[in-house]
Amino acid sequence: MKGKLTEFDLKDQKKVLRGSSLIGTAESGSPVVADVADGRITRIRPLNFEWQYERKDFNPWKLEKDGIVLESPNKTLPSPLGLSYKKRVYSKNRVSYPLKRVDWDPDGDRNTQNRGKSKYVRISWDEATDIVAKELLRIRDTYGPEAVYSQTDMHGEGKHLQTSHGCPNRLLSLLGGYTIQLRNQDSWEGWSWGSKNVWGCEAVGEMVPFANLYEDMAEHGDMLLFWGCDPETTPHAINGMMASRLCYWLTDIGLKSIYVCPDLNYGAAVHADKWIPILPNTDAALQLAIAYMWITEGTYEKEYIKTHSVGFDEFARYVVGEVDGEPKTPAWASEKCGVAEWTIKALAREWAKKVTSIIHGNGGPYIRGPYSTEPARLESILLAMRALGSPGVHQAKMIEWNLFSNTYPLPYQGKVRPYLPNFVEVQRPANAETGGRFHYRGDDPALAEILKPMEHPPTQFIPKCMVHDAILNPPISWMGMYSFCGPAEEQWTHWTYPAPGKSEIHMMWTDSPCWITCWNDSNKYIEALQSEKIEFILAQHPWLENDCLMADIILPVATKYELTDVGDDVGSGTFTSVFLEEHCIDPVGESLGDFDAVAEIAKKLGFWDEYTKGLSDEEKKELFYNGSGIADMCSYKELKEKQYYVIPCVQEETKKIPPGLRLFFEDPENNPLSTPTGKLEITSTDLTKYFPHDEERPPYPKWIEKGESHDERLTSERAKDYPLLCVSNHGRWRMHAQCDDITWTREIETMKIKGPDGYLYEPVWLHTSDAEKRGIKHGDIVKVFNERGVVLAGAYVSERLIPNATYMDHGARFDPIITGKVDRGGVINTLTPHNNISKNATGMVVSSFLVEVEKLTDEEMEGWKRDYPEAFDRNYDLATGVSLTGWLIDEEVR
Amino acid sequence: MSKVFVIDIGRCTGCYCCQIACKDEHCGNDWSPYAKPQPDTGQFWLKIDEHIRGTIPKVKMHYLPHLCNHCENAACITACPHSAIYKREDGLVIIDPEKCEGCKKCVDACAYDAVFFNDELKISQKCTGCAHLIDTDDDVPRCVQSCTTECLQFGEEEDLADLIKDAVVLKPETGAGAKVYYRNIPGRFIAGTVYDPVEKDVITGAVLELSGIGGKLTVKTDGFGDFWFKDLPEGAVYDLVIKHDGFPDKTLPALSTKNDINLGDIPLR
Repeated sequence: MKGKLTEFDLKDQKKVLRGSSLIGTAESGSPVVADVADGRITRIRPLNFEWQYERKDFNPWKLEKDGIVLESPNKTLPSPLGLSYKKRVYSKNRVSYPLKRVDWDPDGDRNTQNRGKSKYVRISWDEATDIVAKELLRIRDTYGPEAVYSQTDMHGEGKHLQTSHGCPNRLLSLLGGYTIQLRNQDSWEGWSWGSKNVWGCEAVGEMVPFANLYEDMAEHGDMLLFWGCDPETTPHAINGMMASRLCYWLTDIGLKSIYVCPDLNYGAAVHADKWIPILPNTDAALQLAIAYMWITEGTYEKEYIKTHSVGFDEFARYVVGEVDGEPKTPAWASEKCGVAEWTIKALAREWAKKVTSIIHGNGGPYIRGPYSTEPARLESILLAMRALGSPGVHQAKMIEWNLFSNTYPLPYQGKVRPYLPNFVEVQRPANAETGGRFHYRGDDPALAEILKPMEHPPTQFIPKCMVHDAILNPPISWMGMYSFCGPAEEQWTHWTYPAPGKSEIHMMWTDSPCWITCWNDSNKYIEALQSEKIEFILAQHPWLENDCLMADIILPVATKYELTDVGDDVGSGTFTSVFLEEHCIDPVGESLGDFDAVAEIAKKLGFWDEYTKGLSDEEKKELFYNGSGIADMCSYKELKEKQYYVIPCVQEETKKIPPGLRLFFEDPENNPLSTPTGKLEITSTDLTKYFPHDEERPPYPKWIEKGESHDERLTSERAKDYPLLCVSNHGRWRMHAQCDDITWTREIETMKIKGPDGYLYEPVWLHTSDAEKRGIKHGDIVKVFNERGVVLAGAYVSERLIPNATYMDHGARFDPIITGKVDRGGVINTLTPHNNISKNATGMVVSSFLVEVEKLTDEEMEGWKRDYPEAFDRNYDLATGVSLTGWLIDEEVR
Repeated sequence: MSKVFVIDIGRCTGCYCCQIACKDEHCGNDWSPYAKPQPDTGQFWLKIDEHIRGTIPKVKMHYLPHLCNHCENAACITACPHSAIYKREDGLVIIDPEKCEGCKKCVDACAYDAVFFNDELKISQKCTGCAHLIDTDDDVPRCVQSCTTECLQFGEEEDLADLIKDAVVLKPETGAGAKVYYRNIPGRFIAGTVYDPVEKDVITGAVLELSGIGGKLTVKTDGFGDFWFKDLPEGAVYDLVIKHDGFPDKTLPALSTKNDINLGDIPLR
């Protein structure tokens, strides 16, 4: 059969590598191979590691139990998003040239109230950069440099030369400083503000170190609790699909997988030995009842608690009811959490009998609801009661194996862990030194000079979860200065905005325009962005989505398939690799890489040389690679020839690293935790010292029915009008806000639901019984609402969700009918609570809040069509959804 | 010699990488003479079907990738009046996009709903087994190459004989000789939780006897009081007896496996 020549195999299909992770700055992720012909991407495939090497070159790692093997396959395991990324690159929603909001006139009326309503016109790069440069100088000179607010944090394509986030900061530093949006501990809310006070575990409060966790579970464990964890969703776009294989292996070797979550998530659907459905954000009740069972039946590890912890007795008195007269019995918990009393007892007894670890993504809604500190630290305490660190007793993750721990839970580690540097400016205020996380770690002085931070770091900050308050109701104050990694001591620092002597913000520059669809109470955020106080909003992004629709100028940014780079994969769990991302396709339209887009503005301001250091992309690639720490294993010349290098595993050596907190387990005196006492603090020393009377985060964790910050329980008065508890997960077919426009995923039945009007609505899950009560059928257009707003959705009716709850992913694209009030795209975050985790814990609450779901009547839809015709007249591509042309004014009309 | 697909449903996570890779290969790419482009949306040369079974909390899911079966006696070939459909030496069935006249007879003839009519090009289309890649540089079709768990396999029938021996084909009654084999498609289940309503405790180790077609099956409740009878035939009728020391036997008669059955939390007094 071979040798049959056809038209296409005569064509030159150039093969180039790309990382496929969408996590952002930290790494590029599983490499894939794009075939390119005639300047167009033909296809995207997994990389066969053996393309240029033999498997033995990698000294491949292997875990084995009873003859059942887990190892890396010979190919990478990219996610469905990585494989469908061609559609993202060529999306109808791409911004192809600079845009200006039609009724925003920097020399006249700015019409800030029309943000999110008025459309855009095409302008030239020259015009756009003239406006931006002029505005930057005017605002700085009028109000001071802090009047410019930089929103430049986190997820996006993993890039090093043209980082998706942070390039503006480099220029803003040159201009004399700025105010930075501080990315809070988003992803780790409860762990960070709660568990850290039990077990330390810097930087984010999840259990570290990660070393050899899965091997230890395999050897000693019986049971795994996947608590609020979906290993078939969260890892995908971050690290790829190795977690799927790991889950099957853990089952194959005999560990039982118990899933505790409101929804039969995608992991539970295929891996669970048992699913325990629980009402959203009631885990603390279940956990307290388990503690009650262990205390009253005497089945916890008493000796360990004596030698390894402090403050247990106070907690135990609360659990058995001596503090508030309410024993936290299984019957007490059952009413709150919806799990049968006998199942709670069975779980407590099984757990007491079986060596058990707890598995997470990062925790998701389980540690991101109101008072998320409580379930998080109760988990830490339950693990303490089972002798945390002993064989088979750990907390472990299915994602981000490369973050916050220098050791990995699977033995894919190489002799050297590569760190590719980049040019992004510090993401924390005031002290540039502490922000050096992504910077050069090597000892080459020339490289250090090029990569050193700029002179003027940001001197004022606003926590990301409080931007709306900062704009609408200043001054504001809060506790803590976490930038997703910061020591626990920061919890006790008090901050205000505006900082003494600093200006309020008057301009916003975003390269991460997804606040509306990912953060808390985003209708309030929309109101803030329409404030006259914000004179200019600049966005730079490849797609016209979400917050872009609030911007005054939008700069078109190229995707990584249009840019050249050097990439790394340290988190996929297959093999560690470094690779070149050589030229694939030319930029779409007039788009530029993020770094180059900012450079165009720098040029207008006379900072080109200082900003770019005069380096070409080719020079930077070589320089960055040489700074990665592996150049002596594979020269840049060799990398150019082979395109990638796999760092050989050193399993013989990594095997010797004690798993998890084993050293603390064995000898707590000589291997203390980073808590004030060095022990597990069941009652926190610091919380007792700083906030002894905080009812919302007391010194030891409690059940909090409601408090001054939140009233989001089924027992609330509000539940009469909004009787469903809404859980909001990471979407399986998006990476947060990314990839809502891929036509091939949008036809998957759990991604979108086609309404009778042909619009692809974001699914909202309802249990069969709740749907029946409301006369809702699968596929109906429904409205999901509370006091904060209304979103439309497509009803997904099934047995995959506990009754009295509803579930809707975050990240659907903003498609306003009434901007700030009614959204057709299904942005559930417009309905999320406004307040922080609790009054002294500064983080967002974006799950487990009260809503009602109703079938949308024809009358109501017709009313909107009559009153807001512009929202329905916008061009909407049935396959892509919100698309560029819907927000453009015809040239002719202009 | 025949190329076959073998799909292990017990290892399919429903990640849709196969369905997406198929689109990535065939949407917007013209692989004539093997195939013209697949429409971007609405048609699926490989499609995942989702099956949600049972009721809360005894709910299981499986996913079933569904594609052209490259049948031994392909009905589409017989139905085509223009001899546009042919079976290659290696067993792959191809619709020649040049010869197809768009009469749609093959669309109706296929028992597996695997042939689609492309309204724009006015031709019938379906999975080609990525024959254009098999003939050039790849050993397997894109769906197989992109499968994250290797639950999708492709190869010579005799090489995969070990996997095929306990596999099934869909709609065997058609006698078409399908060359897509499925392993571990789950049967019906009967499940529940047994508890003591006085002590409000689950009952561990209770014996459950299920009588009906194929004799008697026995399982015990686990530490959560749960029991599962899995892989039962569809549409059978069973009687279930629950036995535990110190409790009267409890009989649940005439359970029909028309659907999967969650008996819920069963009090044993």
